[in-house]
Amino acid sequence: MLNKDDITKIKSEKDDWIKKMGCQQDAEIFHATPSGIKIKNLYTPEDVSNLDYLKDLGFPGSYPYIRGVYPTMYRGRPWTIRMFSGFATPEETNERWKMLLDSGETGFSAAVDVLTFNGTDPDTPGVDADVEVGTSGVPLYSIKGVEALVKDLPIKDISVALVTEPMTAVGLTSMYFNVAKNKGVPLSQVAGTTQNDLGTMTIGYITYDSLRPDKLLKLACDMIEYCTAMKQAPKWNPINFTTYNYREGGINAVQEIAFGFTNAIDHIEEMLRRGWKIDDFASRLAFHLSADRNFFEEIAKYRAARRIWAKILTEKYGAKDPRSIIMKYHVQTAGSSLTAKQPLVNIARTAIQALEAVLGGCQSLHTNSYDEAICLPSEEAVKIAVKTQQVVMEETGVVNTIDPLAGSYYIEWLTNEIEKRILNYMQEIENQGGFVKSLNNGWLFNEMSKAFNERQKAIVEGKERVIGVNCHLDEEKERPIPFKTNPWAADVEKERLRKLRSERNNQRVATLLDQLRRDCAQNKNVMPTVMELTAEGATLGEITRVYREIWGIWELPIAI
Amino acid sequence: MDKKIRVLTVKVGLDGHWRGVTTVSLILKNAGMEVIFGGFQTIENAVNVAVQEDVDVIGLSIHSGAHITWIKKFVEELKKRGLEKEFVLVVGGAIPEHDFAMLKQIGAHDVFGPGTLPDKIIQSIQEKVEKKELENKNV
Repeated sequence: MLNKDDITKIKSEKDDWIKKMGCQQDAEIFHATPSGIKIKNLYTPEDVSNLDYLKDLGFPGSYPYIRGVYPTMYRGRPWTIRMFSGFATPEETNERWKMLLDSGETGFSAAVDVLTFNGTDPDTPGVDADVEVGTSGVPLYSIKGVEALVKDLPIKDISVALVTEPMTAVGLTSMYFNVAKNKGVPLSQVAGTTQNDLGTMTIGYITYDSLRPDKLLKLACDMIEYCTAMKQAPKWNPINFTTYNYREGGINAVQEIAFGFTNAIDHIEEMLRRGWKIDDFASRLAFHLSADRNFFEEIAKYRAARRIWAKILTEKYGAKDPRSIIMKYHVQTAGSSLTAKQPLVNIARTAIQALEAVLGGCQSLHTNSYDEAICLPSEEAVKIAVKTQQVVMEETGVVNTIDPLAGSYYIEWLTNEIEKRILNYMQEIENQGGFVKSLNNGWLFNEMSKAFNERQKAIVEGKERVIGVNCHLDEEKERPIPFKTNPWAADVEKERLRKLRSERNNQRVATLLDQLRRDCAQNKNVMPTVMELTAEGATLGEITRVYREIWGIWELPIAI
Repeated sequence: MDKKIRVLTVKVGLDGHWRGVTTVSLILKNAGMEVIFGGFQTIENAVNVAVQEDVDVIGLSIHSGAHITWIKKFVEELKKRGLEKEFVLVVGGAIPEHDFAMLKQIGAHDVFGPGTLPDKIIQSIQEKVEKKELENKNV
């Protein structure tokens, strides 16, 4: 902290400088960030005059963790290059994963298709489900699909992220656990993450025939309880609050973190209601954030988020274990910032966003492929995306010191400012009864629609500049042929299920499905039964049908 | 035009990207059209709603990559029920320009890919509806 006299002197010299340089006019202009924070022409110690280094910033790996969650950060271990990937069939995705591994990827992440998200088998009668098999992700309907996905891959050493939401998370994760066991990796060693965030698939994307949010919360907490609290899979992150997806729905950086933290708080409260202590489970609550367009605001967001999380966990919940207090997160560069026009420009956007994520201190990173506004990533585009991370990691030198932007008057001021706004917005959500309640009553949808429509308007009016869309337009050129997935995937997957159903012990599956019905009706943790079910070859569709049957379907609170 | 254009906006299939369809619905509503937001529907239900609500336009939103198959199935359903000349059929979503011609050949009157500005959607729908009304008069 500077003393008062120094600050007064800086202030008066700054006023002199403004006059002398004739920049009065410029000093009165404020540029707003996407969150609406007004930015001045220049920041000086005056703007952070109350900053108490030891209390507000501290050191990496210690409270309040703003400077990084680990003491050595990237000097000790670089972030994980984890590319979200999946399409057509498990076999084809397996080939893509091998290519990614050869290109330098250090973590896997499964993008699953819409049937997997929905817990709908391709042969479900009355649903035209087979149309979308493998079109936007890898189909993983049974243990057989998961086996094929990870065939010959070193899953003992490389962690896997399963990107699906609570309705199918327990089922898919159980399949993966059973496959890992069969491959000689015991549950005590299996490493990875399930997305398992009820917000992901309700706020940004809505699953067809979704369960009600309170039931999704129950299922998500069943997995947190089974994996972490009951120590069945202690190295697995049973949830990853995916604020990235909320953000992609059009909200700003402040809303992104406030949505994520209030959602996490609802899960913490549910776990406490079940009788667990905060340190029994909080160490494995993880996050997945966005790296969007405003460079410094995003960096300030990551730093502020770490400090807020540390405060909530200690001050509100009394966590003692440092692993509970640190906010670990994966980052994905903003898909919504990519354009279908002039697609190669997306490489530049993604590179800048990757730099943001790294300067902000992420633990793991996905960089988008330049063709993602047009189609699923082609092999060429995805390789460039991996190499973009390698450029940041190995060429720029930004990894050589920890939290290099700390102490910048602007960054520290912006971090404080965004922290204040996140806390205020969290209070607004809490006033609605918390995240799950405000999702159920439609308030969150309204907030999101409002934000998105404003942003859309800004783009149309040219206030928000998008190169190639509303400014710096080029002559239209012949577009590249988009990457297409295998049109026979549906037949392959239907055959895989037919074979499975003819080989498995159907009576045993039926008995276990009855057990699951009882678990659901009696509000028991469903995961032990689902572990058995998936080992016996039950499909995601069969498991999810039980949930829908017992708990019913959610009526969406969305209106135009 | 004195009569308000009636539009059914709907998502078919399991794909849950709802942002686009609600945004476009609002844009059309603000442009003075009557918008019936159908949410998620099977093809059969979507056509039922279109008939019941007596809409001029059906707008399908598809982000799953399976747009060609969906439009084929949708047009087949309309033909099966003798309704292929009843509606202006437009489709929007994560659709590469490369596929536009194919979708139009199958039966979509227009396709709106990523980055389409609202005015273009409004204008296209107005033109297509006027054209259809003229055609129907001449029959």
